[in-house]
Amino acid sequence: MTTGLQLSEVTKYYAEGSNRIAALAHVSISVEPGEFVAVVGPSGSGKSTFLSIAGALLKASEGEAKLNGHSISKLTAQELADLRLKEVGFIMQSSNLVPYLSVLDQLLIVKKMSGKVSKEDKAFAVKLLEELGLGSKLNSFPEELSGGEKQRTAIARALINNPGIILADEPTASLDTKRAHEVVSLIAHEVRTRRKAAIMVTHDERMLEYCDKVYRMEDGRLFEQ
Amino acid sequence: MFLAMKELMHSKMRFLMIIIIFVLLAWLVFILSGLGNGLSTLAASTFKTMKADYVIFEEGSQSSMSKSLLSDQLLAEVELLPNVSDAAPMGTSMATAMRANSTKNEDKLDIAIIGINPGSFLEPSVVEGQGLSAENPKGVIVNSTMKDEGYGVGDTFQLDGTTESLTIIGFVENQTYNHVASVFTPMAEWRKIAFAAPGSDKGISGPVNAIMLQGKDIDPGVVNSKLATIDTVTRSAAVQGMPGYKEENGTILMMLAFLLAIAAFVLGVFFYVMTMQKTNQFGIMKAIGASNRFLSKAIVSQVFVLSLTSIVVGVLLTYGTAAIMPKGMPFKLETTLVVTYSVILLVIAMLSSLVSVRKITRIDPLKALGRVE
Repeated sequence: MTTGLQLSEVTKYYAEGSNRIAALAHVSISVEPGEFVAVVGPSGSGKSTFLSIAGALLKASEGEAKLNGHSISKLTAQELADLRLKEVGFIMQSSNLVPYLSVLDQLLIVKKMSGKVSKEDKAFAVKLLEELGLGSKLNSFPEELSGGEKQRTAIARALINNPGIILADEPTASLDTKRAHEVVSLIAHEVRTRRKAAIMVTHDERMLEYCDKVYRMEDGRLFEQ
Repeated sequence: MFLAMKELMHSKMRFLMIIIIFVLLAWLVFILSGLGNGLSTLAASTFKTMKADYVIFEEGSQSSMSKSLLSDQLLAEVELLPNVSDAAPMGTSMATAMRANSTKNEDKLDIAIIGINPGSFLEPSVVEGQGLSAENPKGVIVNSTMKDEGYGVGDTFQLDGTTESLTIIGFVENQTYNHVASVFTPMAEWRKIAFAAPGSDKGISGPVNAIMLQGKDIDPGVVNSKLATIDTVTRSAAVQGMPGYKEENGTILMMLAFLLAIAAFVLGVFFYVMTMQKTNQFGIMKAIGASNRFLSKAIVSQVFVLSLTSIVVGVLLTYGTAAIMPKGMPFKLETTLVVTYSVILLVIAMLSSLVSVRKITRIDPLKALGRVE
């Protein structure tokens, strides 16, 4: 079984009136476990569609996407949700935390989605948060956190289910330079020590130094730089 | 449940407001049902508590006591009919009880005179004093509410507009008819009161208003075919036939139905608006991998907790209200009634939350990412 993330010849069409627009055209990429890849490109180039397919939120029109060996083209919506839960960790633009859950509960809710929360799960969540420097914030609510702390909580949330794939969507969009460096270096660190296949979509050229490979997306096509 | 409870604890004010509205709705439902029950008890409790299964009226009397006149000679024939285990005659008329020669307002009291055969199954058991006896035709047993008017065992009252006077020999409970206290008299005395005007008995010998039957499997059709010019109905049909009974109950029922419909809409809209506000959150959780089932369970369990809390508070408030209500109020709470309406309210709330569940299943996790091009 292959691990990591493989897209081969993925094309995605959107209907726009009577026309068919290719948001992605013959995109192929392979990300190995432990590899941190950046995708840059102007807005409208198809980065979101790319991320949605890589994250099992959307199915390709043509071609195949494999997440940790699971092909997504034949799955139902329910199976896709299940695959996202187990294999994909999302880190979104603005951390998108649930406002009424404490930092620790943000992680436990993900565990709840797949069943019961065991003692080990809780211990793992606490350890993860301590590693990310949130040991003193376990019971804080998102409104009490700084931007960097929110993003670090989101990183912990992405890692809690031990997924094979980490997808970061503009994780530094709302952070200052110092915090942005902190957050991305943390992601890079976690990706390498935990052997995740990671893709970060970003506008922020300063962050590319943390990545192993950089791809550029233009008009639905992906080029390695 | 986890998600539902965490949110409840975090936004207490918002949920408190919904609970307050729900409590008020539940409270009103319970009070209205208690009033409806109280009124129908007042209107017909003598009929409702009677140990009779079927009633024989005169043909064409629309199941109404006041429109029916029969001879008690039918009794012997009726008792021979199949499945009839017992039969007893009954007569009713309205009257006013008056303390001897008094002209004061408070000394007059509306009553319903119920004529029965002493010792028949129609005679309710007394809680104080003694039962009716044929040897003492002027001795009557009356509803205990007359105690509140100052009457006691041994007291005598006159009937306004007649020369008859009656003596209380016992009290019974929960016996009201046409909204006033029932006064049970032996049949002979009732005939004297009801047919005081010559010819008002239409020349019938031993006139009564109706004959009550006991017996589980009586076929009204068979009874009607064996005897001429009569109409046999169930006891509940006879209750419905009482003047004003259907109209009174219909009014209350219509108000309750409207109230429940309003409750369904108000709650449904509240839950829906709350769900709409959380569309983005639910989208994020879906993107992370939450199933529709997981999120729907969160909503439904939240609505369940809110509804149950509100209904319990509503029930407590209703019993509190009942405790401080003036004595004369026709308000009667029954456990079965309270439980029934609690269940109805709970079901309505749960059903109204399904609109929100439908909304959740339609949230697209892609939109939550906010990056759809």
